[in-house]
Amino acid sequence: MASRLKFENSCEVGVFSRLTNAYCLVAAGGAENFVSVFEAELAGVIPVVRASIGGTRIVGRLCVGNKNGLLLPHTTTDQELQHLKNSLPDQVVVQRIDERLSALGNCIACNDHVALTNPDLTKETEELISDVLGVEVFRQTIAGNILVGSFCTFSNKGGLVHPRTSVEDLDELSTLLQVPLVAGTVNRGSEVIASGMAVNDWAAFCGSDTTATELSVVESVFRLRDGRPGALGADVRKSLVESCFV
Amino acid sequence: MRLEKCWFCSSTVYPGHGIQFVRNDAKVFRFCRSKCHKNFKMKRNPRKVKWTKAYRRLRGKDMTQDSTFEFERKRNRPERYDRNVTEQTLKAIPLITKIRHERQKTHISDRQKQGKSKQREKDAKEVEQDFHMLPKMLQETKVKVRVTQQQTEDNVMEE
Repeated sequence: MASRLKFENSCEVGVFSRLTNAYCLVAAGGAENFVSVFEAELAGVIPVVRASIGGTRIVGRLCVGNKNGLLLPHTTTDQELQHLKNSLPDQVVVQRIDERLSALGNCIACNDHVALTNPDLTKETEELISDVLGVEVFRQTIAGNILVGSFCTFSNKGGLVHPRTSVEDLDELSTLLQVPLVAGTVNRGSEVIASGMAVNDWAAFCGSDTTATELSVVESVFRLRDGRPGALGADVRKSLVESCFV
Repeated sequence: MRLEKCWFCSSTVYPGHGIQFVRNDAKVFRFCRSKCHKNFKMKRNPRKVKWTKAYRRLRGKDMTQDSTFEFERKRNRPERYDRNVTEQTLKAIPLITKIRHERQKTHISDRQKQGKSKQREKDAKEVEQDFHMLPKMLQETKVKVRVTQQQTEDNVMEE
């Protein structure tokens, strides 16, 4: 089920949180009602960890992870690194990377099997990604933009990409990732998908500005609706954005 | 808080000291004091500036490779907190520092020992050459030493 929430009057939920199948990171020091929404949904299932990275609250855009591991930028302090390692389950490998592009959440989009990366990342980083996260890495651009981590988000069940992605690109990405993809928006037409929402295999959190149409698209492509098997229903097809952009 | 190393002289930069310079390619340069910062701005290469650790290590004047240096390496993959491990580590830190200092001292004294034997040879040569310049008393003792030395040499040759 998809919930709508705000972080301190900002609808960019994906900036202040990082949601995976094994853990959830939220920004430390903000209002408690932001964290409590996550906890209400996820409490017993996976740990919800309050964290900061390099003293900042934008944890969602700086780190990237899946159920196998978590990658952090070089700006992470030793104390934060230790805190994360202590709070997360033992199977999750926590690793700090030395990379010039330190906003890893904007450069890398991943699920438990595949990762899309910014083509400008160095080779060592790519090897570390495949090693720590246990994924196959593809260098790709989305709608001509190199920041794949911001403009698309996908889980093991489905994915949402930038609304201006062409149909051929969409098909290509779909075959690479092996999940159904849809081009759409969140937060009332915001093109920066991953900043506007946090999603894993069974839960999604979108900004308050997300319209009901966008929310239903999200729920169907990520298969969040209870008991609904398989592909997108006919009632949702009309509202899909891909038909608007040829 | 982290104790960083000065980029120029490699000494530790404590909190509240020094300047950090971030270049356009996102590389951070940390300096412990304005001396190092000004040398950097003059584009001096620390490997050529005699008082820096980089120069001393490059020229073999200071110890470069040792197992005690491995303890201070920056680690990017942390381990879960364990109270016993932390306790042992805190106990071990002063011991390791002491051992490292000892090893550095022996490295330097070993390096200087070679100079000592060379100096002795030079002194012996000088005594031989300028024997007449020695004061009378010393000359007598030196002659006695020479004679006994020659006697022992003859004995050895006879044998």
